[in-house]
Amino acid sequence: MNLPPDTHPWPAAWRRLTARTPAAAGLALLAALLGALVLAAALLGDATRDPLPRALDAARISLSFAFLAGLLGAGIGLAWGLLAAALGGTAGRRLVETARGLAALPLVLAVPLAGGLSGHDKAMLLPAAALAAAPAVALATQAALRGLMRAEFLTAARASGATGREVLLHHLLPNAALPLLAAGWSALPRALAAEGFSGALGLGLPGGRAGLGTAIGAAVARGDAAGLLAPALLLGLTLWALGAVGDGLRAEADR
Amino acid sequence: MSGGGLPGDAARAGAVLELRGLSLHDGERFYVEKASLRLEAGEVLAVTGDPGAGKSLLLRALAGLTPAGLRREGHARVSGRAALAVANPALAPELPLEHQFAELLSATAGLDPEAARVRAAAALDRMGAPSPAKLLDLPPRALTDALRWRAALALAMAGGPALLLADAPGAALDPTVRAELLARLAGWAREAGVALLLAGRPEDGVDGPADRVLALERGRLGPPAPAPAVAHAAQHPSGPPVLSARDLSVAFPLGDGRVLTAVEGVSFGVARGETLALLGETGSGKAVLARALARLAPVSGGRVTWMAQDLARAGDEMRRDIQLLFPHPAAALDPLMTVGAQLTQLLKRLRPDIPAGRRPAQIGRALERAGLPAATGGRYPGALTPEEAARAGLARALVTEPRLLIGDEPAGTLSGAAREAFLARLLRLQEEEGVSLVLATQDAGTGLRVAHRALVLAGGRVVEAADAAVLADGARHPYSRALVAAARGERPGLLPGEAQGRQEAGCPVRARCPSARGACAEAMPPLEEVAPGHWVACHGPEPGQI
Repeated sequence: MNLPPDTHPWPAAWRRLTARTPAAAGLALLAALLGALVLAAALLGDATRDPLPRALDAARISLSFAFLAGLLGAGIGLAWGLLAAALGGTAGRRLVETARGLAALPLVLAVPLAGGLSGHDKAMLLPAAALAAAPAVALATQAALRGLMRAEFLTAARASGATGREVLLHHLLPNAALPLLAAGWSALPRALAAEGFSGALGLGLPGGRAGLGTAIGAAVARGDAAGLLAPALLLGLTLWALGAVGDGLRAEADR
Repeated sequence: MSGGGLPGDAARAGAVLELRGLSLHDGERFYVEKASLRLEAGEVLAVTGDPGAGKSLLLRALAGLTPAGLRREGHARVSGRAALAVANPALAPELPLEHQFAELLSATAGLDPEAARVRAAAALDRMGAPSPAKLLDLPPRALTDALRWRAALALAMAGGPALLLADAPGAALDPTVRAELLARLAGWAREAGVALLLAGRPEDGVDGPADRVLALERGRLGPPAPAPAVAHAAQHPSGPPVLSARDLSVAFPLGDGRVLTAVEGVSFGVARGETLALLGETGSGKAVLARALARLAPVSGGRVTWMAQDLARAGDEMRRDIQLLFPHPAAALDPLMTVGAQLTQLLKRLRPDIPAGRRPAQIGRALERAGLPAATGGRYPGALTPEEAARAGLARALVTEPRLLIGDEPAGTLSGAAREAFLARLLRLQEEEGVSLVLATQDAGTGLRVAHRALVLAGGRVVEAADAAVLADGARHPYSRALVAAARGERPGLLPGEAQGRQEAGCPVRARCPSARGACAEAMPPLEEVAPGHWVACHGPEPGQI
């Protein structure tokens, strides 16, 4: 892709991201899904009993949960990774080792466990899903920052007399934005997968309006193939779209 | 072992490779156009060319691996089997070498694993790999870059090819290690009657052991163009040193009270307008020393003075006088800021005496002096070519009007004519403006050509110091002689091995020094003046007679 040489790297990164077929398809799919959710909520309310509007309603609940849990997980993971990178030395290593140890565990199981123990309490499910996503985000954040902190342009800035604060604010943080976005993004599909898995086991969100996982679990229990298709498809496509966009972001961050 | 057990000991005869009008194109662009050559058995041919000239494509096509989408026209005939060794050695990273040799030798020579192991060990020994039998048990991942190259070339040799094609063999290795590797390969090819084609950039040293050299330029294969006018140091300036180091040591804390000493006890002086080259292999401490002079590495001992002022106590105002040229100029520019914005920032910090209104003119002048149009100021680093990035790095160094430039392989990312043009511009600027220059490089040829004086470093210590002209023609330390020989494409004369970092005791070169003796392991020899201004640190029987 040829861009004018005075194109700022961020618009250029966006252009490259949308030129990647999977990432572009993922973004389009997410946009379409969000549009459909808004329309479904506005036009259909919750009166319909048709499978698709019901699945869209479940998707809205799942995505809302995934967004909140993902945001919280990304925040915890980013703070964790930032702290590990900033501390360095033994303390930084310990933080990384803890994250690595936790990330190696099947943390997705923590969400149904929390659901089961708390009696579907949303106040427990949300942090559980966030914490399940956080270690991987922390590892990606620390790795990105560690690489960035060794970047030669930071040395060049120091050589030009920049203070530590100037190096941080003018060079390190702006350049860290994309890698951190890529790291944080990975919390979204993790949180969505955790909610879906938990709901499918019958240990998901409480109340009559279920998420996608709960809808899948209920359809399977009823032997309702038609009722299974829409939520399963929506969950699968949403996870794929989030993953494809995340892959694109990581590829851009690694450039 | 001298290669016994390797196939091809009986010299082959006749042309092994014959090209007549070979073209490679994708319908729109010709990557190789009407290439013709004839390569005899036992002949060594070097094909040089800048990056992207089409060397790798040509070699892949000759090995029968023409990339998809490329069309091949013309005549190409290879008599016998061709083996290709590529820049990123094509060894499975996790599979022990023994299995990789066994697989190849079973397919090409029908050898059983036992016989394959014998032949593999012979090939590794021929390529100078230490303890071949032990090496065969290791996967390539566990090997150093140099050993991986030795293994990859040994693998190609062991299959008994009639034609061996090596793409940038050892290009990223130290010149001394690479020259020794190439000399071994060429020696084997001549002895075994194998046609050897070495491809690489002009500065990759592939022409050193070759019988003939051809150049691939814009897809055309032919005799190399006359060498461009190379930059040489101007007349040696005299005067008191403006930069002076006494017993300088640099050490990095490793935690738990441990330190890594990278440079120890180095002393030198640089006069106004003088160029000092810091020569040495990887790990010799030259780059760390250069960075310590720019106050980017912790000085743990000794003293550095600039214009009679202690550098350690100097404030930021001294940074305007001392600027650094980085080895990867593009990586040394913030990717999110335009070149102009970065130069402006530098001026704001280091030249507050220049009013904001005069900054654009100052930046334009620096860009112009570096050979770039003023419009480059509006471009982002990611949009610069390697040559433009190197010049942008030079412009950044010049914008504060420094009096000392410290270059850490400043032309390392450039090749051929672009490299020479950059060095010529650097020297012209230095001469015109009387700037002093400290140049750290592993390329002794360039270093000794552009410098007035040179320090040869090994393991963080100076092993030889003299005028550049004296070192170029009469280096006395075996390590210095190896650096000079490698730069000329000659066999370096060191034993096989790799560049060593600092040693706790003794001479850091002793493991590879053919003249090493007992005393070399016990203590680092002191620097002794063997002629006026010529210092050597060697336990040899008599410096100069080593």
